[in-house]
Amino acid sequence: MTFPYMGPVLAYKKLLEAVGHEVIMPQKPTQRTFDLGVKYSPEFLCFPFKCLMGTYIEAVEAGAEAIVTTGGDDNCRAGFYAEIHRRILASMGYNVQFFVIESLFKHTREFFGTIRALKGTYSWWHTAQTIHFVFDLIAAMDRIQERIRILRAHEKNKGDFARAWRDIEDLFTTCNERSDVRAAEKRAWQILHSVPVELWDPKQAVRVGIVGEIYVTMEGHANQEIEETLASMGVEVVNSQYVSHWLKQRIQLLPWRKSYMETIIDKAKPYLKMDLGGHEQENIAHMIDYWEKGLDGVIHLMPFSCLPELVTQSIIPKVSKDLGMPVVSLALDEQRGTANNQTRLEAFLDLVIGKKIRRSGMPGLAAR
Amino acid sequence: MKVGLPRALLFYYYDPLWQAFFHNLNIETVTSGNTTPHIVDNGVRNSVAEICVPIKIFCGHVVDLLATDVDAIFIPRMISVEERKRFCPKFLGLPDMMRNTVPGLEGRLLDPDVECRQESLVDMPNCDEFAKMLGKGSRDVKQAFAAAREQWEVFRRYHQSGMNIDEALAALNKKAEPLYEPLKTEKRLTIALLGYVYNIYDSFVGMDIIKKLRSMGSDVVTFEMLDDKLVAEKLQRYSKTMPWTFTNKLLGAGNDFFDDPKIDGIIHVTAFGCGPDSMLGRLLEFVAVDHHKPFMTVRVDEHTGEAHLSTRVEAFTDMLRRKKYPVG
Repeated sequence: MTFPYMGPVLAYKKLLEAVGHEVIMPQKPTQRTFDLGVKYSPEFLCFPFKCLMGTYIEAVEAGAEAIVTTGGDDNCRAGFYAEIHRRILASMGYNVQFFVIESLFKHTREFFGTIRALKGTYSWWHTAQTIHFVFDLIAAMDRIQERIRILRAHEKNKGDFARAWRDIEDLFTTCNERSDVRAAEKRAWQILHSVPVELWDPKQAVRVGIVGEIYVTMEGHANQEIEETLASMGVEVVNSQYVSHWLKQRIQLLPWRKSYMETIIDKAKPYLKMDLGGHEQENIAHMIDYWEKGLDGVIHLMPFSCLPELVTQSIIPKVSKDLGMPVVSLALDEQRGTANNQTRLEAFLDLVIGKKIRRSGMPGLAAR
Repeated sequence: MKVGLPRALLFYYYDPLWQAFFHNLNIETVTSGNTTPHIVDNGVRNSVAEICVPIKIFCGHVVDLLATDVDAIFIPRMISVEERKRFCPKFLGLPDMMRNTVPGLEGRLLDPDVECRQESLVDMPNCDEFAKMLGKGSRDVKQAFAAAREQWEVFRRYHQSGMNIDEALAALNKKAEPLYEPLKTEKRLTIALLGYVYNIYDSFVGMDIIKKLRSMGSDVVTFEMLDDKLVAEKLQRYSKTMPWTFTNKLLGAGNDFFDDPKIDGIIHVTAFGCGPDSMLGRLLEFVAVDHHKPFMTVRVDEHTGEAHLSTRVEAFTDMLRRKKYPVG
């Protein structure tokens, strides 16, 4: 069994192994993955589709017989990915079984049907326990990463945080139940605090938010490692997309409890009245929220020709103008040339720093 | 009150309905002209670079109407016209996109939410809100919808009798002269033309492809000419259908065209950057392989050169003719 390379892959592995499946870990996409994906995908399909296509082909070559992925019936093309992936793989001669996890509330029967098929003979209780454990694991890893994104801008020795993150991942790999996760997270925080950082003045540090389509925003390989680039320029990063947030939003079981998103979504309503089936409304809300929280600018990432994000992109100039906030919107695809985005990022950061000086009257900023 | 209707996107499908609707409410309407290079230029200038051509053209028509003396421009937010399917996100966010990219539109925008379960829009749920926008009573609006529906259903019946949109409109307005001069030939072909109404009937972007095909001695069938029930039936062979209304219709229609022995070949007309079509096209390619039927994709965009389209269409019809009427 395999699954898309997206977010905390380790957790998906744990989940499938707990119900007795053998897991072929998907490889982190490389140039070959992109090449394969592009070769076998329709030209105008979006970039995440092509990445997944390549990932699947590589996993199938490595012996995977089934693929677990998510479905959905929103207007975004992602909900229909699996249908096309399956047909393309079949036309290549790979008869792979797909387990598509549909939306819990809109297609309850299909949702539980897929879970039942996946869990096999294991009890529902065991499955629920495992899901709970995996969710905790994802949430813990997301919390650590959130912090690393801030700290990495100030690391003393280049690569320290990348090394620390690898150690932390190893720690989480050994977890098997919820108490392990708690212990591992505690240890992870200790590792994180022991990484040497330069002293910095939080008021002077430049901090930008990243919003956009979930796949390219989360995956470094898809966005040309934009977070690393920013960190090397001494910029702190706040990312809006985490799998744990997405899950929390989708599987909100307690109706009286409001998710964080619900508390800020109204900010986007004057610009975009309704949810279009992707993250567009959330992204606009995040942008406004970030600015109100004192972030210095926002980077919007989207795959080329992404349907919902094109709407966001159309609205960004107005939001940016109304708030006076620097925003840059980058479209990503399989073109691996970095000069274009690098230049645009540098220009954007010049703007951000200029704006920050004017906004807070702070001369001599710490940005390198 | 004078309302401007942009001649773009779903206008081609819903024109008689909206015309009758506003007529019944005694509201004067102005429709923007046919798409011209100037309109396209305006559209390109006022929209983001990557968005699909139909949206750019729509934007151009809005700019065009803003320059006239209309009080409001009618940009309905098309959310759904059937159960459980919606439109492409760009349709859902269309008024918001236009408001935020076209300067001067704010305050002159008429954007009711169309979230219906029937294609004739007769069950429009938030009539009160729409009535308030129009400054009419909500009962009047409901009646106008009911009357508009009748007109639109006549239009649909014309379609289903084999007329295309231009002919159905002419028939609706009781104009009799033939719009297209077909080529008289013994070796007739029947070609199915798959594509959204705003690509095929916009003479700028679609380059009068129907006229071209007919002048080469082919009869043309499009998806609007099929019975809705038949299209829905053909979709049942898919375990999961596409989330977008018109893409789904094309998928169902496409399957019917492949099944139908009377159809000699299928041309899929798609606009550059169309997201739903990138999936639809692939699905149809799989069907084409199963059926051994000629299938061609033509991608159109804002360029004005017609040579590529003519050449490809000619080559395609030649190929079909040779296949259907072998020499010797």
